[in-house]
Amino acid sequence: MKTKNKNIFKQIAGTAAIPAAAFLIVLILCSARGVKLFETEGNWILFFRAAASVMLTTFALSLNLNSGRFDFSIGSVSLLSSVISASICTSLGLPTIPMLIISIAAGAVLGMVSGLIYVIVKLPPIIVSLGVALFYEGLAFAITNGYGVSFVANTELTSFPSVLNYVLIILFGLLIFIFLFDHTKFGYEYKALVSGQKVAINTGIKEVPNAILCYTIAGALMGVVGFIRATQTGTIQMSLNFGSIGVMFTAFLPMFIGGFIGRFCNEKIGYLLGAITTAFISLMYARLNVDASIQQIVTALILVCFLIYLNNENKVIELVTLKQYRNKKTK
Amino acid sequence: MKNSKIKKYIMNLTPLLGLAVLFAAFLILGTVQDINISYGLKSILSQSVVVAVVATGAIFIYTLGSFDISLGASTAVSALIGGIVYNKTESLLVMTLVCIGVAVLVGLFNSVLASVFNLPVFVTTIAMLSVLNALVLVLIKVNGTGSQIAVPAAAVRSLNNTTFKMVVLLIFVLLCIFVFSFTKIGRMQKFLGGNPVCAKLSGISEKKMAIIAFVMSGIGVGLGAFLSIVYAPTLTRNTASSVGMDVIIAIVFGGMPVSGGARSKIYAAVIGAFSMTLLSQIMVMFNLNSGIGQMVKAAIFILVVFLATSGQRGKMLPR
Repeated sequence: MKTKNKNIFKQIAGTAAIPAAAFLIVLILCSARGVKLFETEGNWILFFRAAASVMLTTFALSLNLNSGRFDFSIGSVSLLSSVISASICTSLGLPTIPMLIISIAAGAVLGMVSGLIYVIVKLPPIIVSLGVALFYEGLAFAITNGYGVSFVANTELTSFPSVLNYVLIILFGLLIFIFLFDHTKFGYEYKALVSGQKVAINTGIKEVPNAILCYTIAGALMGVVGFIRATQTGTIQMSLNFGSIGVMFTAFLPMFIGGFIGRFCNEKIGYLLGAITTAFISLMYARLNVDASIQQIVTALILVCFLIYLNNENKVIELVTLKQYRNKKTK
Repeated sequence: MKNSKIKKYIMNLTPLLGLAVLFAAFLILGTVQDINISYGLKSILSQSVVVAVVATGAIFIYTLGSFDISLGASTAVSALIGGIVYNKTESLLVMTLVCIGVAVLVGLFNSVLASVFNLPVFVTTIAMLSVLNALVLVLIKVNGTGSQIAVPAAAVRSLNNTTFKMVVLLIFVLLCIFVFSFTKIGRMQKFLGGNPVCAKLSGISEKKMAIIAFVMSGIGVGLGAFLSIVYAPTLTRNTASSVGMDVIIAIVFGGMPVSGGARSKIYAAVIGAFSMTLLSQIMVMFNLNSGIGQMVKAAIFILVVFLATSGQRGKMLPR
């Protein structure tokens, strides 16, 4: 009984440690400057928007990256799906929900096309994703003649940002992702392919449909991210020459944090907590008016420090244990 | 057997054939549209040379099966620091050495960080990309007018000609070919890229090879930074902004396998860089919308790489 309780405590502590520590540090830093972390409704909206957007991007990135497929094109899928949905909705006068649905559908189709190209040409995924990213960026640019899309005056579409809406997106996203990957045949086959491609194929698992579905799901997720970004300001700006890949970089830190937390709970919940951790940091930057360049440096340093710990965990534990042993001996 | 050998030989030549076809297309279109072909070619060479130099150095990293996403940002930071130093010393030699020195230091930092702390090289370069991009903004803010750092155009005007740039590229390519094909270093790098386990068991130090690769790449980045200043002496946050991704595209387009190993070749970088610039120039000649131009470029990129690697595909999906 005692061991069971100890294990549960360990799991809870391991799951909550990083986001809780991040929250405390952020709170202390803000308090030191006399700033309240959550002062207005806008602060809450910013926090939940960051959490939703980063969580979905992390899902989309990790989905293929865990299978050894590096996908540079997720940012361009997000861009193009939002351009398609916003263009259709502004020209037909459609409200928010159809825009979200069209964005998801467009993202899924774009992701599927990306997956189809990958399985047909059988080139390394990194090369395919570079080509696809260039193509989708070019298509988005061509559709809007380089002017992008603006619907700032459309109060219906720009009214989407609210805490409730973002919380709903987080919950639905998480539940659907957990269901797909932990409770379906596709999910089991995906896990088998992740842990051993050759063995999984030899046991009869069909890799091609699995890979296409992975790209389709990643595309749908990025469709939601595109929708969130578009409705945030009511404008979509164009990117050429890989300008869209920046979106992908927001997901690395939460992905690694999620991977760590995944030892103590479901990995997908880990990704959500990773996204929440980065959302706390983003909110702190905004509340303390931290310069954009300093933000980039601090985030990169956190990423490197965390990875150094992850990749040298055994050595760190060994070092701490040895120190404790020596201290005991001296006493 | 003989047929498969010929097929393999042709496949290897695909990137070169691609370059020849693009060159022919440029000449035909130029003649039809009555443009100044010699001026157009000089412009293409000028535009390609920075990517070609940086990509040539980067081949050493790619050969190990790694890749560095921060090369463009590193070029920008080296150029900015070089520019600041020039404005203080008014010496082109010092500026060039500082450009190379900064780039090599960045490369060394990346490789040492990855080696000492056992981090995946790619991840360290992602973090470095953020840091360097931020540094670009800080450098311009602190040392420039807030939006730019300008080296007097007169100081570099005499160097801004095709001959000088080609000489710099040629010397660097020859140096890289020598190290890559005529020394133990090149062979060890190919071995490590092709079969890391066997290479390590044979006593090849992965850390040492990674450091050498990043130093060679750093020299290329430094020279690229210097040539960027020569080409456009007013340095802004957009300086070399597209170089990072252009390098990856050029290397792959030139026929370099992403997995590195024995099939790696130095000339892939040069072929790729010139092909991509020629392709962009042809798109401009067709007077296409920038977006459609990029779509065509993407399709040709996938097609050329597909043809160049058609003999190397296995039954399973590549990862």
